[in-house]
Amino acid sequence: MGESRRGPDLGSEVTGLTEQYKAKQIGRRQFMKMLGAAGIGITAAASILAACGDDQPAATQATQASTTAAPASEGPTTTAAMAETTTTAMMDDMAGRSGRTLREGYNRDVSKHDPLTTNWYDPAFFAIYEAILTNDPSGASVPQFASDWSVSDDGMEYRFTIPEGKLSHSGGTIDAEMVAEFYRSVQQYSFIAGLAAPVDTYEADGNDVIVKMKNAWLGTLGPHKTGYWRIINIDTWKGLTVLDDGTLDAGSTYGTEVADGTGPFTHEEWVPGSHVLVRRWDDYPGSLTPFFENKGVAYLDAIRWSVITEGGQRATQIENGDIDTLINPQHQDIGRLEDNPDLTVIRHPEWSGYHLAMNRDYDELFGDRMTRQGLSHALDREGMVAAILYGNGAPTYGPFPTTDRQYDPAVEEFNQFDVDLANQKLDEAGWTMGSDGVRERNGVKFEFRYAVEDETTQKAVAEAVAAQFSQVGVRANLDVIDRALHFAEISAPGRDSAEMALFFWLWPIPLDVLILFSGSGFIPVPNFSHAVEPRIDDAISAWQQSATEDEAQAASSDFQLAWAEELPYLPLMNQNATFVHHNRVHGWQPFVWNLYPYYNDTWIEA
Amino acid sequence: MTPETGASRLEAWNDRLAEYEAGRHTGAFQAALSRMRRNKLLLIGSALGILVVFAGVLGPVIYGVDHTLQSFRDTHLPPGAPGHLLGTDHLLGAHLLGTDHLGRDIAARLFIGIRVSLAVAAGVTVFALVLGLLLGMFGGYLGGWRDRAIRGVVDFVWGFPLILVAVLLAGGLGGGLFPVILAVGLVNTAAIARVVRGEVLALSEREFIEAAKAGGLSTPRIMFRHLFPNILAPALVLASYYVAVAIIAEAALSFIGLGAQPPTPSLGVMVSDGRNFLRQNHWESTIPGLTVVLLVLSVSLIGDGLRDVFDPRLRHEAKGVESG
Repeated sequence: MGESRRGPDLGSEVTGLTEQYKAKQIGRRQFMKMLGAAGIGITAAASILAACGDDQPAATQATQASTTAAPASEGPTTTAAMAETTTTAMMDDMAGRSGRTLREGYNRDVSKHDPLTTNWYDPAFFAIYEAILTNDPSGASVPQFASDWSVSDDGMEYRFTIPEGKLSHSGGTIDAEMVAEFYRSVQQYSFIAGLAAPVDTYEADGNDVIVKMKNAWLGTLGPHKTGYWRIINIDTWKGLTVLDDGTLDAGSTYGTEVADGTGPFTHEEWVPGSHVLVRRWDDYPGSLTPFFENKGVAYLDAIRWSVITEGGQRATQIENGDIDTLINPQHQDIGRLEDNPDLTVIRHPEWSGYHLAMNRDYDELFGDRMTRQGLSHALDREGMVAAILYGNGAPTYGPFPTTDRQYDPAVEEFNQFDVDLANQKLDEAGWTMGSDGVRERNGVKFEFRYAVEDETTQKAVAEAVAAQFSQVGVRANLDVIDRALHFAEISAPGRDSAEMALFFWLWPIPLDVLILFSGSGFIPVPNFSHAVEPRIDDAISAWQQSATEDEAQAASSDFQLAWAEELPYLPLMNQNATFVHHNRVHGWQPFVWNLYPYYNDTWIEA
Repeated sequence: MTPETGASRLEAWNDRLAEYEAGRHTGAFQAALSRMRRNKLLLIGSALGILVVFAGVLGPVIYGVDHTLQSFRDTHLPPGAPGHLLGTDHLLGAHLLGTDHLGRDIAARLFIGIRVSLAVAAGVTVFALVLGLLLGMFGGYLGGWRDRAIRGVVDFVWGFPLILVAVLLAGGLGGGLFPVILAVGLVNTAAIARVVRGEVLALSEREFIEAAKAGGLSTPRIMFRHLFPNILAPALVLASYYVAVAIIAEAALSFIGLGAQPPTPSLGVMVSDGRNFLRQNHWESTIPGLTVVLLVLSVSLIGDGLRDVFDPRLRHEAKGVESG
């Protein structure tokens, strides 16, 4: 659509101007004037200038990207190519791509825009911040903030090259030392720093950030591509957050009123329970990410995410045109949205899972493996996927979603639905059926509190599970708790946590996060089961020392099989991530390897 | 006059006063019964009420389907559809009102939901009526600092919106029906206590109370023997109105997750669960919703009918209309 609107005369005129400017035949001021005379908007003109000026950061980045980007064929290969791309951007601008606000519906409440202290990160992180690398549509690591990266032969050192002249939204310079200092702050302050436990130090060496490892680890890049490692101006953060005594100020306004990233949009409003607003950063120096078509400033004026936790409202709002894009409609509405010719629905497996945590400090209930296996066999996972997710997901018999590259199908030998086997295992475990239909063992009734977050799908899952347990003589008494309280209810030490809890995890690298949920070093949080499983600890240790693909796969398989058999948690199912956009929205392309879409290429038809 | 003679006269006087009061009430009761039989609103409301109570009490027994059973193969079945949960010997051989999102029988859940609503309404009403009568009588009759203290507490509770009280209690006590009964009961108590107090203040000026005081009767005896029978009827009428309030409040609080907890099938929970499927299977919400309407309508009609029967002003107005 955009191509048909391009004016060939205009394109050649701009290309000619660009070549004159690069050849220093005309100065920058004159170049800008001539672009303006040609009818080019100021935003597009600035993009062209940023890309082709030899003293401009974007041009530097473009040149470096041309020699270093991993899938080089996907990225610009020369500065001229970059200029040509920005010429295209200019023409896109002429075609009406610039302007307008994207209104996006989001199914969760929003977390504060602070990678270091937030509990979770939301789509706005992909607009405000950049990671050092990111995943391309094939899942390969490609540059985002860094222009180049390499790893030493022994796997003990990673080196990321930071282009000169990079700025944050406040105008602060973000060089290699700033990036290294930010990463050191992650190590010091972030609750989730343990995800990158094998990293020893972060140092700067000229324009390079050097990551030194305690041991070679194939998973090093993973955490650095997530929202928690998205690069911020650490000076701004420290100024607002770190107190004189070195502790963190709980009342810091960083992430709520201020966010100082390097992405194409700037933080504007953050209103939990309602919305988030970001605005285009007109001084954005350009992107190095090869799969972005738009290398310059963003097309959109702004993006507004609306929090729509009322499930049915999400589909209704995009059908009515109240929003342009939508993340995760209700499962039952997806078919209707797919039938709507004005909408496009994108579905792919999500890096998520519903798991049942069993508090092992209630040893009399869940202490023995036979009992846990009995419970697991009582669960009809396929039935729950069909009834609750409307088929928009898959049952899980081990910890991983089936999409994961390291998924081991051997886990499917475990935990299959078989009520007779469930009863047999519970019998063997010593649980005898009581006169009231509830099993007993050593004078202890198999009855417990089962905590679940007050959210539609989770409540449905919890109800379905409890009803299935009742069929094998186990009484799970649901305790529906507000989201704000649920975490506290399941993360207390010892027997202060609920006996059983439904837990939903969402994370782009399953193994990394599941390590936290099952490692014995993470009791009581986030190992909500308080489970100590030597097999799992051994597998975690092996994974964190795996330096080759084979070693990583072996460790990952051990981890999955140990989980499926020892059952620190009962795996249930994982759902598909579903994205919907109105057909007037272009360049909004969520794909499986990143949790959220990027907004560099997104534009809206008039 | 010896003290013994005076005491015996006082006793005789009291006995005659009690006989007079009893006779007056017996006559009034028979007249009220007669008016009840002629009141169409009351009869329609009572018929509806009996129907709903019958469904709540005997429905689960007669229908014979466990409300907790689920079948993932039979989710969202329309009313009258057969399903795998039902045995071959089932009364209807079909799900009377269809199934919900987990394949549970809606009719079976509805019967239990009615039972929950009625239980909550009964609990709230007994709680509010007993406490409201006591507070209103004590405050109104005793007066002074006791009245000011009781009135202060009652006005304080009355000033809070019901939902806010419920949220506060649910936050403190956890979810479930008990906080709902307590919250709705407290607010209804305040309403009943205010009305009862007003009635008691008016009655306290009447001759028979003056006579009882003059006769030297004890305060508890005056309150429970002479005041109580006279305020019971208006209090009951008011309570019938607050039964409807309790039913709606329970449904509303359960709808927003503060009332009955899953898998207990309260009517509010059923409406809430079903709203996610309104476009596809509206009956999952509309059937429990209509049931709430029926319940409230029946209670309201009964309340209106009782008010017509017991309120002398309305009776006189009605007579005026008839004669005019």
